[in-house]
This record gives sequence, structure tokens and C-alpha cells, in this order.
Amino acid sequence: MADIMSAANTNNRETVRLGAPWEKTGNTSWTQCPECDDWFHIGPGLLDRPEVAMHCPSCHHEFNQTDAKRLVTSG
Amino acid sequence: MSVSHQITALQYALEKAGRHPIVVVDEPLMADGTTSDIPVVTNLTASRAVVARSLGINDHQTAAPIYAQRTGTQITPETISNDTAPVQEIVIEGDDVDLTRLPALTQHVTDPGPYLTAAHATTYDPDTKTDNTAIQRCWIKSKRRMSYFPYPSSHNNRNMRKFWARGEDCPVVFWIGHHPAVLMGTQAKLNYPESHWGACGGLLGEPLRVTPSRTFGDLIMVPADAEIVIEGYVPRDVLEADGPFGEYTGYSGPQVAAPVVNVTSITMRKGALYHDYGSGLTDMLVPDNMTMEGKVYGLCKQVAPSVTNVHVPAQGRRFHGYIQVENPGPGEVRDALMAALSYRRLKMAIAVDKDIDIFDDSEMMFALATRVQWSRDSFTVDGLSGSLLDPSTPAGSKTLSKIGIDASLPLPGRPGAPPPVPPRSIVPQDAMDNAAKILSGTDMSGWPTL
Repeated sequence: MADIMSAANTNNRETVRLGAPWEKTGNTSWTQCPECDDWFHIGPGLLDRPEVAMHCPSCHHEFNQTDAKRLVTSG
Repeated sequence: MSVSHQITALQYALEKAGRHPIVVVDEPLMADGTTSDIPVVTNLTASRAVVARSLGINDHQTAAPIYAQRTGTQITPETISNDTAPVQEIVIEGDDVDLTRLPALTQHVTDPGPYLTAAHATTYDPDTKTDNTAIQRCWIKSKRRMSYFPYPSSHNNRNMRKFWARGEDCPVVFWIGHHPAVLMGTQAKLNYPESHWGACGGLLGEPLRVTPSRTFGDLIMVPADAEIVIEGYVPRDVLEADGPFGEYTGYSGPQVAAPVVNVTSITMRKGALYHDYGSGLTDMLVPDNMTMEGKVYGLCKQVAPSVTNVHVPAQGRRFHGYIQVENPGPGEVRDALMAALSYRRLKMAIAVDKDIDIFDDSEMMFALATRVQWSRDSFTVDGLSGSLLDPSTPAGSKTLSKIGIDASLPLPGRPGAPPPVPPRSIVPQDAMDNAAKILSGTDMSGWPTL
């Protein structure tokens, strides 16, 4: 089963650990807007580029990964 | 009717009712409460029958080989001057440009704002000056700026990277609205670099009329009979958040880091229409899947001459392909399945005989239920290219696992003999005709459904 563990480098990031190859795991990472608390999903390409600000589709607040309220990454 | 969700909701309601008319919204209500004098046209391609008729094909079930043949017979485009090009009857340039006046739809709950969903992006290879066109989404961010998402494996992305490697911004034009044959011609699978204009003409049956763009002249030609053209530059190495965006999979694709476009001009016809594709609806799946059928048919036919038709059902998004064969030789069914699975988007291919209607999913289920022993008749192949928008892909994977299923009947013991399986249960045709005659005059409303 996949579970969640805290990563050491940031306080806001959690990583969903992969299970065995025969177990189903998700592929989607989520972030929580620090302004409105809404969650939205983000692709690995965006996660790989911390210099690109994320954009909340609900309140249109722009924020850096380090400023996200939470980041739950898959894999 | 509002461009924010309401038009798309109507499409969903129509789809649920099994109806697929073309939808035209005059004076659409914009997000700021004003109305636009540009009508929205959507659901243009939601019906296979309508799309086939627009291509001059009477029966949509025969479209696959026709698409393969016509896009392979390219017709050179015809260049006309700027002053006679309908799409340049109205020219808006510089600070007068305002993308937010286009009645672009915000379709789904998770979309961050209005998207151009039927924008065909044309760029060119700076080495050969050969143009390329692909349908690619754009999120309108302000009057002169929008995001632009050229899929990483696309030829437009390759062109853009070449410009960026030279230290230059990438020229691009987006054109919206044209004959369905032209829209589908842009999806022909071509080499790099190779222009789509010839394939568009092949499908149209006459040369596509093009004219020099206002910003880039002969370097980027635009379809002269399009409804709207947006021209601009993709600034080098600038990436911004784009999405989430409701995708063809029926799921919302994640927010990505995407290039942007700084718009230099908008041109349009007098009385232009704004074309929107309902993303993830049959409106977008039907034309894409019909072009896929032509492409997969061409691939299969090269290795398996017994292939007679291909269907990519909208129910399977773009992931399922049904292959019809007639009197295949030994091994030929699996040859066809392997060829079909090599097509990037397909992840399941099923082969059936001529007696199975590949446009009827209940017939396909019948074949799977009665003609397949799974360990013998199916095979999986891992590590093939595929759509990473498929929500079932494991995190971090760059390839997919695919399956081929041989649901055809075993070969006859000797040529001309029936296949070595029991015959299907059928009743005589005259009895069926009589039954149809009885029911045609009967009111069946209120009768129980399955």
C-alpha cells in the first residue's frame, strides 16, 4: 500500500511512497494554495522547475513551491 | 448563454441525451457581463455522420481507408494575396489587440480561465523554413498574452526549441475555424519537417488557400479562409503555469510549466465565428478518432492485407482500437495487432472478423466473450510510447503497458471450409423483416428497457 512520508528538505512537502510493482499507485501530485486553501493538481514538469510560480485556478494567487501550504507529490 | 461553463454544460447534456447537433450561440455572454458580437460555434464535429458528410463520405464507417488515401495524396496549396484573403478583412494590431474580447470558453471546474481549444498553431523549422501545424491549447491571460502548450513530443515544440537554441523568440500563428477537412488534415501523421497544407488539400479535394501572415509574411502562411488568426512570438525560455485543463481523457490534466505567447496582431473575417472544441467530449474525440482510424488503418494494412477496417470508439477515449479482418493468413491477426499498438495513443487493440460490427460495442463484447481464451489470445507489451495523460500510468513512467487481443475465429481447417466453431444463432432474414414491419407500426413508449 502507498503511504505518506515526510521529506526532509522542506516542511510543506510530502511524498506518496510507491508500493510493489503489482500494487496500484497514483500518478498525480497536488498542492494547496496558501491564499485560499484550495487544492489543485500539478505535473512533474512543473515540480521540476521551482523557478516557475504555481497559479491557483480558484483565486489566481501565484506562489512558489516553497510557499505552498502543502505539496503532496506522487512517486 | 455564458462562455463560462454554460455552453459546455449544454454539450454535456446533449451528449448524455445521445444528441449531437452543431451548437451556435449568438451574442454569447462574456465573463465580465458584456456580450460578444462574435458567435460561438461548438459541437461542430460531435457527430460521426456529420463529419463524414463534410468530407463527402456517405457512410462514416468507411472513413478510415478514405482518410488514409486522401491524406497520402497531397495537393499543393494555393497562395493568394493579403488583400483578397477573407481572414484578413479585419486587422487588429499593436495596443489595439485584446484577446479577452474573443468569446473563449471556460469549460470545466478546474480550468483556471478561458482557453482557445480549437487554435491550430503553425510554426516553422528555422533550418528548412518548413511549416508545421497542430491543434494546441492556449489560456488567455491578458489582452496580449496567453499560455501555449506545445506537447513535448510535437513538431511545434521541436521548432520552438530550435529558435530558442539560436537565442531567438519563436514566431507562431494560431488560426481558428475552417472546413472540417482542413481541421482533420492538420492531424495527418507526417515526417519532420513536413507541411500539413498538402494533406489538408488532399482531404479537402482542392488546394488549400493560404496567404502570408501579417507579422511574418511568407515565413508563416495562414489559411486564407480561416475565421480568426492570432499572431505573435513565444519569448525564449519563458515558462509560466498553465492549467489544470480538462483533457480528452475525461480527466483534468495537471498544471504544467508552459511557454507563453506575446500577441502582435489578430485578424479575422467580417462576421467571424469563434470555433470551440468541447474538450473531452465527442466534439473533440470524433474528428481525432476518425483521423486515428485512417492512420491506424494505414499502419495495419502495410503488414496485414486482410485488415478491412478500423474503429477508434469515443467510449475508449483514444486508447482503444478495433481492427476488422477478413480471411487472415496465419499470424496476420497478431501482425495487425502489433502494428496497431505501435501507434502512440492506442493501448488496447482488439481484432475481430467481418461478422462483428466494430461500430457496435455490444458486438465487440460478444466477440470477447465467446472467441477469446485469455492466456492464448491476448498478449501484453510493456515499454511502448503512449499518452502520459492516461491517469492509470504509474508515477514517473514514460512508457505504457499495452494489450493486443485476438478475438477473431480460428482459421478453417481447409480453404473454403467453415471455421471450426459452432455457427452463430440466427433466424431467417424474411422473419426478421417481418418482425421489423410489425414493430414499425407499434407504439413502444413505456415498454421496459434492458
